Amino acid sequence: MTPTDPPAAHRPHATPPRATPLARGRAVLTSEWIKLRSLRSLWTTALTGFTASVGLSLLVCSSYRSRWHHLGAQARAHFHPTDTGLGFLQITALFFGALGALAVTTEYGTGQIHGTLMATPQRPLVLAAKTLLLFVLGSALALATVSAAFLLGQSRLTGTMPHASLTDPGAAHAVLGGALYLTLTGLLGLFLGTLVRSTAIALSTLLGLFTILPVLVDDLPKSPAWRHTVPYLPSNLGLSLWHSHIGFLVRPAPAAGTLALYVLVAAAAALTLLRTRDG
Amino acid sequence: MNPTLPAERRHSMPTRLRATARSEWVKLWSVRSAPTVLAATALVIVAGAFVLCSGYRSGWASMSASEQAAFDPTFTSLRGIELAQMLIGALGVLAVTSEHGTGLIRATLAATPQRAQLLTVKGLVLGAVVWALSTASSFAAFTAGRHLLTGPVPHASLDDPGVLRAVLGGGLYLTLIALFGTALGALTRSTPLGLTTLFGVLLVLPLTAGLLPGDLTDTILPYLPGEAGSQIWHVKPPSPHSLTPWHGLSLLTLYVAASAAAVLTLHRKRDA
Amino acid sequence: MIEAQGLTKRYGRKAAVSGLDFRVEPGRVTGFLGPNGAGKSTTMRMILGLDLPTSGTVTVNGRRYQGTVWPLHQIGALLDARAVHPGRSAYNHLHSLAAANGIPRSRVEAVLDQVGLTPVARKRAGGFSLGMAQRLGIAGALLGDPGILLFDEPVNGLDPDGILWIRTLMRSLAAEGRTVLVSSHLMSEMALTADHLLVIGQGRLLADTPLNELIARDAANRVEVRAVDHHRLADDLRTLGGDITLKPDGTLLVTGLDSASVGELAAARGHVLHQLRDVTSSLEDAYFRLTENSVVYRTPVPA
Repeated sequence: MTPTDPPAAHRPHATPPRATPLARGRAVLTSEWIKLRSLRSLWTTALTGFTASVGLSLLVCSSYRSRWHHLGAQARAHFHPTDTGLGFLQITALFFGALGALAVTTEYGTGQIHGTLMATPQRPLVLAAKTLLLFVLGSALALATVSAAFLLGQSRLTGTMPHASLTDPGAAHAVLGGALYLTLTGLLGLFLGTLVRSTAIALSTLLGLFTILPVLVDDLPKSPAWRHTVPYLPSNLGLSLWHSHIGFLVRPAPAAGTLALYVLVAAAAALTLLRTRDG
Repeated sequence: MNPTLPAERRHSMPTRLRATARSEWVKLWSVRSAPTVLAATALVIVAGAFVLCSGYRSGWASMSASEQAAFDPTFTSLRGIELAQMLIGALGVLAVTSEHGTGLIRATLAATPQRAQLLTVKGLVLGAVVWALSTASSFAAFTAGRHLLTGPVPHASLDDPGVLRAVLGGGLYLTLIALFGTALGALTRSTPLGLTTLFGVLLVLPLTAGLLPGDLTDTILPYLPGEAGSQIWHVKPPSPHSLTPWHGLSLLTLYVAASAAAVLTLHRKRDA
Repeated sequence: MIEAQGLTKRYGRKAAVSGLDFRVEPGRVTGFLGPNGAGKSTTMRMILGLDLPTSGTVTVNGRRYQGTVWPLHQIGALLDARAVHPGRSAYNHLHSLAAANGIPRSRVEAVLDQVGLTPVARKRAGGFSLGMAQRLGIAGALLGDPGILLFDEPVNGLDPDGILWIRTLMRSLAAEGRTVLVSSHLMSEMALTADHLLVIGQGRLLADTPLNELIARDAANRVEVRAVDHHRLADDLRTLGGDITLKPDGTLLVTGLDSASVGELAAARGHVLHQLRDVTSSLEDAYFRLTENSVVYRTPVPA
């Protein structure tokens, strides 16, 4: 069965593009974009998150409208249309965290990651492309979700009730802050997903970090140790970005910086592990 | 029982059940995730007592008189349960969905074709394990809290009214959450869907209720499964609208029973 | 060309692959044989840069896989046909891989055509049968028209038509001058497909040889002989250095002597022979003798 004649060397008909960093980066970005847009679970999650946020905002604002005359004087005095109107962000953040995590854990769950890493063995490049796409698409989606939910919610606050509009500087800042919070949460989900490689673990960790942990520790007495830790939980930093009334919160600018720092640390950890571990 | 079944089959029912139980027991322990999750659960419950009790001890002086009066040492010691319920609930979901995900369910059903019986036994085995572990963890957390809450901070003792009920209640609550997870897993047959439903009911619903105007929150929140069931491990009711401990636990049991009934009804009609 | 030098992979203290040295040459089908758990898949994953070697190197056309800018133009691989997101269409799956290496869409359509998946190109890959998934995996391997191809157990679960199709494809790829490395545990299939063999057991290289030579070497010096007095013949053959096994029916299986020397000895000592023949060997025989001592998971033989 040994071939009798030495065969002619293989001449490929497809020629590779030039190996410039720009061409390489663009190719990875295109590939990740094709994968992202053909992943139905991402679109379902994004759409559900949008609908849930708008629905929740309408529900909360409508019920405040309908109960307004039953509320006590103190409750009315404490009512803050922007804070109440953006309350849905606590839940929307979970959707964004899930979006980020799913963008990578679905690859591990299905084995698709093998194909990805075979086509692009430069692993940091793969993570960079995912990060860039998620940042761009995530911030657009975040801005759309927060503004739509906010505006529709405020439209229900009619009559004698106080209401906010985007021309109020406080409200505009809160909406932008909320969108920033959601975007960074999405990136945190992406890096967490890269670290743990499992949808179930990533989602459970996000839920624990963003919904249970704050409930457990927010009520603790405000000792110095508490002041140096609890306000820096990701969800509380998020509150700093969109909420006006809570006394213990960090100021918005340092809050955004700290949250971005968490994202960078998670990115560094994800990158280190991605480079050194078997794919 | 079906009268057309052969006599020997009828007589061997206890043997049959024991065999199924043994099979489910082996499956539970031979998968690495279950022991890990159970160990993490115990750890979270006890660690919760350490973190929260030492937090209250160090900050006690800075609390207002009304905050001090509302302090519930038993509940504070047991509060790790709020985090542990996620692990236990997820374990319940995965106990079913991991079999569907891997196709093991076909082998399992081939070995035990009686599906209702299979699910019941699965729930019983998981429930028994979770009950034993979480009751022990509750006692451990309570004891840890008892030693950490010193000085001016009030502590509870098991003889005080409601305290033993609350500590035992921690185990009962987590057992019901495990069964709730199992039922949701069997209903959805998909890990992501099952987990989303479980966490949606336990975490997102109360969060949503909390966003509503105060009086609406007070009408809705007490009747949500997690909030209702958790009254069993409170000594002081968290709000005047809370259900009593046993009413709350009964309501959670009712939710679990309803989802189990839905599973058993659907299971007869669905293919594996 | 693929070249491994001292390639080693350890998981904790257990070595999955240790000190492999081999070259996979172009223009022929190289079969990669070994029992389950011998380290075949680990080796393939290291070639593809998915697993990182503990020590040693493996290069593709002289470069480490991870240092290759457009790898799909040099090497294509089918590892696990099911490693595709089930919700994505075959077209989108291939398109994403192609885009990552600057391969044009026209090439995606061409490989889909080549493997016969054009009619289902827009369907969810999750609904594919194993045979279709296997074809999709092969389409992915062919995308960059690479000079090197790796196939891990490509005929697993295929029907006879599919097996024939893959066999023909691999032979024609090699005939075009490409390097083809294919792992399998199906001996009969390997015997029909491979020109050259790499055999590993317990992570070590057991053979790196042309298929024909392996079989010929195994068959050489194995003779079956029936004699009237087989006990006396056995004793005589042992003095000549033969290794004798007595079968229940009285046939002697002689290893280490060829039929000529057995015949001459029988004539010299006056034995009456009823039969004397060379034993032919199959790849399966040769493989079993080679891996006898290195089978990791083996069914206990009933006593």
